[in-house]
Amino acid sequence: MTAATVGALLAIAVWTWAVVAWCGRRPWGDAGRRFFRHPSATKGMVVLVFLATVALCAPLVTPFAPYQQILTLQDHAPTWLHPLGTDFIGRDVWSRLAYGARVSLGVGTLGMLVAVTLGGLVGAAAGYFRGWTDALLMRCVDIGLSIPRIFLVLAAIALWGKLGVVALTVLLGLTGWFATSRIVRADVMSVRERPYTDAVRALGARPWWIVLRHVLPNSAAALIVSAALGIGNMMLIEAGLSFLGAGIQPPQPSWGNMIADGRDQLATAPWTALFPGLAIAVAVMALNATGDALRDALDPKARGV
Amino acid sequence: MRAWLLRRIAAGVAIVFASVSISFLAIHLAPGRPFLPVDERPIDPAVRDRLNRIYGLDQPIAVQYVRYLAALAHGEMGESFSQRRPVAEAIADAAPNTLLLTTSALAVDFTFGILIGLFQAARARRRSDVALANVTLLFYSLPIFWLALVLQLVFGLWLGWFPTGGVDDPAVYGSLPLIGQLANRLHHLVLPALTLGIVGAGGTARFQRASLLEALGQEYVRTARAKGLAESAVLIRHAWRDALLPMISLAGLALPFLLTGAVLIESVFSWPGLGKLATDAISARDYPLVLGTTLLATCAVVLGSLVADLLSVVADPRVRLTT
Amino acid sequence: MNRTFVHSPRILVLLPALLVALGGCKGQGGCTTEYCGTVVFAASGEPTTLLPAVATQAIERDVHDQIFLKLAEIGPDEVTFGDSGFTPELARSWEWTDPLTLTFHLDPRAKWQDGPPVTAADVAFTFDAYTDSVVGSQDRSTLLEHMASVTATDSLSVVFRFRYRYPEMFYDATYHMRILPAHLLRNIPHATWQTAAFGRAPVGAGPYRFVSWTPGQSIELAADSTYFLGRPHLRRLIWRVAGNLNNAVTMVVAGEADAVEVLVTAANIAKAKADSALTLYPYAGSTFNFVRFNLRANGDRSKPHPVFADPQTRRALVLAADRPQMVQAVFSGSAKIPPGPIPQLWSWLWKTKLTPAPFDTLEAARLLRGRHLSFHLAVPSTSPTRVQYAQLLQEQYRRLGITVVIDQVDNATLEQLLESGKFDATLESIQNDPTPTSSVPPLWSRGGPTNWGHYANDRFDALVKTATSAPTREAAQTAWEQAFAALDQDPPCIILYALDNIAAVNRRIADVRIQPDSWWGLVRTWRIPPNQLTERDRAGR
Repeated sequence: MTAATVGALLAIAVWTWAVVAWCGRRPWGDAGRRFFRHPSATKGMVVLVFLATVALCAPLVTPFAPYQQILTLQDHAPTWLHPLGTDFIGRDVWSRLAYGARVSLGVGTLGMLVAVTLGGLVGAAAGYFRGWTDALLMRCVDIGLSIPRIFLVLAAIALWGKLGVVALTVLLGLTGWFATSRIVRADVMSVRERPYTDAVRALGARPWWIVLRHVLPNSAAALIVSAALGIGNMMLIEAGLSFLGAGIQPPQPSWGNMIADGRDQLATAPWTALFPGLAIAVAVMALNATGDALRDALDPKARGV
Repeated sequence: MRAWLLRRIAAGVAIVFASVSISFLAIHLAPGRPFLPVDERPIDPAVRDRLNRIYGLDQPIAVQYVRYLAALAHGEMGESFSQRRPVAEAIADAAPNTLLLTTSALAVDFTFGILIGLFQAARARRRSDVALANVTLLFYSLPIFWLALVLQLVFGLWLGWFPTGGVDDPAVYGSLPLIGQLANRLHHLVLPALTLGIVGAGGTARFQRASLLEALGQEYVRTARAKGLAESAVLIRHAWRDALLPMISLAGLALPFLLTGAVLIESVFSWPGLGKLATDAISARDYPLVLGTTLLATCAVVLGSLVADLLSVVADPRVRLTT
Repeated sequence: MNRTFVHSPRILVLLPALLVALGGCKGQGGCTTEYCGTVVFAASGEPTTLLPAVATQAIERDVHDQIFLKLAEIGPDEVTFGDSGFTPELARSWEWTDPLTLTFHLDPRAKWQDGPPVTAADVAFTFDAYTDSVVGSQDRSTLLEHMASVTATDSLSVVFRFRYRYPEMFYDATYHMRILPAHLLRNIPHATWQTAAFGRAPVGAGPYRFVSWTPGQSIELAADSTYFLGRPHLRRLIWRVAGNLNNAVTMVVAGEADAVEVLVTAANIAKAKADSALTLYPYAGSTFNFVRFNLRANGDRSKPHPVFADPQTRRALVLAADRPQMVQAVFSGSAKIPPGPIPQLWSWLWKTKLTPAPFDTLEAARLLRGRHLSFHLAVPSTSPTRVQYAQLLQEQYRRLGITVVIDQVDNATLEQLLESGKFDATLESIQNDPTPTSSVPPLWSRGGPTNWGHYANDRFDALVKTATSAPTREAAQTAWEQAFAALDQDPPCIILYALDNIAAVNRRIADVRIQPDSWWGLVRTWRIPPNQLTERDRAGR
């Protein structure tokens, strides 16, 4: 680790503090106040902002390229130069961890975006139109929820042979929307019964317009919460797939394939698999903590406190 | 009630049919073929042609699909390519191991989850509650296979307290008395069940705590408190009973989670269960075995959610049945 | 309630420990003699069938080699020329009645494990089964190519008739077939051998009897105390299914199994070395690993490959790979770079004047003439070593402006990519027979059944022909040397490494000898001294 790296990390820490503090002082209204009063909200946000910034600024905080191999330094224990040690082909674990954050957080976030969009649309359509649309869509959801997801994804990966990052993200999204759509459907059904929906309908608005403009925003809270809590799950599944050898392709680092790479060395060079595992745990924890706080803030009646 | 049950069963059958069809198509379209050389010794094309003919893989896919469904209607799941015996036998050997693993894990999950949740609710917002909340959040967020590897390394390899894999020690198991056999199995079960259970317990505890706190805010609990009941009695006798209800549906929903976890855990601990059977079958392109395991897993999930719904009706007559 | 919570984790740990202690209270006793030991092998995979004629995997061979016998066993030196290195097994003696006729005389003491004696009719029956296309044996074409017939002349004499003369006739007559019990298999239609129940409960004439097979868990064999070539010292052999190599090594290091046949990775070797309960036994490996080039366009066999059709480019790619550094990085000295497609098993071919092509980036750059290459490299995701190698190679080439895209695929997919020609390059591993005669030609000869990259080199083909029909090993060595030199100039692949295999075996087991072509082939001579016996050795059904 060079002085420049330490400096960059410190700068990111300061930036993180500034961002979170700034957000905390914005007048977001009731929900915002409730969010920041939640005991785990600030902690979760600090970790997330920090990790996201490290991921975005990976070249600034890493002394080595993530694929640079120093073959005289394989499986080397942490030193000042390699703060988290080196892996089985002499790559700097810290540098790979920082670049891996891009992939792991990116796949999780974008995958969830796909899932939430799809789940939101399907749920809204089913909840709004009812009838056979609802029946058909919900049966599909039942099927999706009934096949264990890991089987589904493994079979799909076998189907395409190997997947790029984009395809993997889409695949995770496509297999992850089922639960979301149920939540949204329930929400939409209750919104649909409210008087103002009837009023808009009476004014002659098109059904899709009503759904997009009036119904969906009302279930936005449910969507946001399910997304925040779902990203962590996405990341865990990506890691599990990489562990089974079906995830992100080398030399691109992801936290999951770093664990898979380090598996054989776990007894002799524990740092190679230990740190990416901890990174996943910390990131998912932060996501869950933030998700909890969001849920409590956006949905006062479900407040667990 | 009866109409509801019939409708649910019909829907369940439809779901199973659809999932088998999807899996059939997916695995047959997948690149790669069965009967591959396992250890880099090229297989003679003539030998593979022979095997393809034996298992009817030389037929068009539509014919194979119809044949498979017809056989399935007669209760036949076909012959496994990689085990050279009926799929039903292969599943019958593996299913008890997965059942043992998942039920033990569920027991660990709920015992720890409920106790921690209760404890936290009793100490809500005090330091011990916050500390435990962090711990449960951590377990809930851990990659399960990573935890398995770490526990295997520490308690299996370094400390030597527990075996690192398998369901029993085949060298001594056969000659042990019954109690010894039981002990041997239990000894092998500890690490995999604990790993799977602990991760689940994190979620269960969070859920239990939240629903307890919600119950504690209810009118009748306040009444009980006003009557001068001790806080522990209020918690256990009144609030807990109410908060147990959502736990039943949680148990039904835990099944897919446990099955996914089992796939990863069984691979780490060489546990000869359904998860390992399924992943091995996928990589060997053992079509009938893949379909057999998918069929079973889907049935389990469908049944699990049905039973959970039924139980919540039994536990609380106020719950209305809708599809 | 508070107390329950605090104590429950401890109970959870103590309870099984208590039960284990109870279970262990059975006391000493059981077997205590010279013939007691139990050896547990950790296996990466599980057999499909134990019927030798249809078995294809190494793990299947490991088990059925204890149950079934060959006519004669290839010696520890693995000499395939003539019969000088072979030791008698089912055949007590043999003689050449004329240059094309070989007569074996069976040992009259040999008996099937269910009672009847082994007869010449069993041998003839075995040959007929191995060569029937309906059975689907891997060795069918090799046997039929060389041998016209096998007939019993009396109950203990059997005659092999060959089609032509060549140096490895004896090897081919004895190496491929395990003699099968005709009285048990005659009534099973050949078409159902692949799925026959016999394959899950085999009966042979070897040193060990089949006892049980618990699918997904273990296979147990027991010593036949009346075995005619000497009672095996180890009483029981158990294979535990570990699922993959990593789990298998973990089991052996944790003391839950006694032996694993290969360690492969530097990490595994370090783990085993650090364990004082294990002894490591190096022996010659039978694999070599290489990057195969596809000389035809990816997915279109009628067109030349844009990168690999040019011999100069292929040669440049060989020169640009720093193989010594990679072998050092991955294996830290437990693998070597062969001077051709040669596993360590063929030790006589390593003593040639050939040397591996040097690491020479200057010459590589000259041959590449400043072009920027790009290609896909398919690697099986199940092999951590090859995935590691692919990443090393990718990085070395990247520095020279060559872009390699790694595609991790599973074995089933890799196999299909190869057969359909939809690949640029693959990182493969090949298991070899004890002789290059049957191993090399299929890989690189024009039209060879596993020449997936459509390599064609007339000079090489002619030299292979000379080598395979050479009358002596010296002559064969010279011819192979020239053939491999031809491959070196016009390379079909980059030969990366040939493993030194290392087996890890528990120290309490004495007289461990390992047969390079069939790791556990000599297990019947292993023993555990009575003072080293453990609970596991004494236990028994």
